[in-house]
Amino acid sequence: MSDLVRNGRGGYNRPGKDQRSNFELYAWFFMRISGLALIFMTLYHLTWWNLIVGVEHLSADVVRERWTNPFWRLFNVALVSFAMLHGLNGLRYSIEDYVRRPGLRIATKAVLYTVVLLALAWGIFALLTFNPAVPGHTA
Amino acid sequence: MATVHKVRGLWTALRYRGREGMWTWLLHRATGLGILLFLIVHVIDTALVIYWPGLYDHALDLYRSAFFRVAELLIFFSVLFHALNGLRIIVQDFWPAVMLHQRKLGLAAIGAAVVLILPVAWLMLAPLFGLRDEPGTARYRARMQASQPSISDYRGAAPAQQTAPVVSEGAR
Repeated sequence: MSDLVRNGRGGYNRPGKDQRSNFELYAWFFMRISGLALIFMTLYHLTWWNLIVGVEHLSADVVRERWTNPFWRLFNVALVSFAMLHGLNGLRYSIEDYVRRPGLRIATKAVLYTVVLLALAWGIFALLTFNPAVPGHTA
Repeated sequence: MATVHKVRGLWTALRYRGREGMWTWLLHRATGLGILLFLIVHVIDTALVIYWPGLYDHALDLYRSAFFRVAELLIFFSVLFHALNGLRIIVQDFWPAVMLHQRKLGLAAIGAAVVLILPVAWLMLAPLFGLRDEPGTARYRARMQASQPSISDYRGAAPAQQTAPVVSEGAR
């Protein structure tokens, strides 16, 4: 991960026992699997809403009608979960590349992970608790 | 001793001549972060439909402005490029022989994304200049027609005349 220490011979010391884990392997694998699924799911999503339905003809009613079908709610749960977690790991790569001071790196991760995970939780909450019979408040 | 990294400026980074590999890498990262930023906003506002549909409709009004249309097209391009370049990376990882052609494949990913965005740009931007109907207009009209059929579309027998029951003054 980020805590590799140079050994003075152009290489790195073997990481300490607590730093040996397969996390990076799983992260690498997850990026491939979720990426492959996202290619199809995201391009379908963009084509449907931007080109077939059209933003001009979009409204809360149109979304609510779509969401009455549980299949599309579950599709959206999968889409938002894959996309947010794929993005979160990409964000982690970027933070580890550019934010080098240890304290600042932890602070940056804490703030940005919280934002991404809250947005994901809010999206899943909305999809799973959606009830077409409850019309909602018009604000 | 922890690794020491020199801080280098943006100009140094851009002068680095990494050729195709550097540019696809940079574009992959920039599009990825851009998509994530949009995704966060998009999920927060779309989730409003469950309790505050009116607020969601207000957000849509913003997305219909010319500025956001261009931004949406930029997001569309970002997704296309990120998808195609990501596919290239997956294929190279699982089929190492392809690595010999990675430079050409990187250029192919950029080229394919540019070619594919052209028809999308036409569909999304032409209505701004009155060159074309908004995407989905025909579908929208058909749906409206189905939910509120007009009497002029009725092809069957003439509907029976509604006659008001005659109620005499005295029966009231």
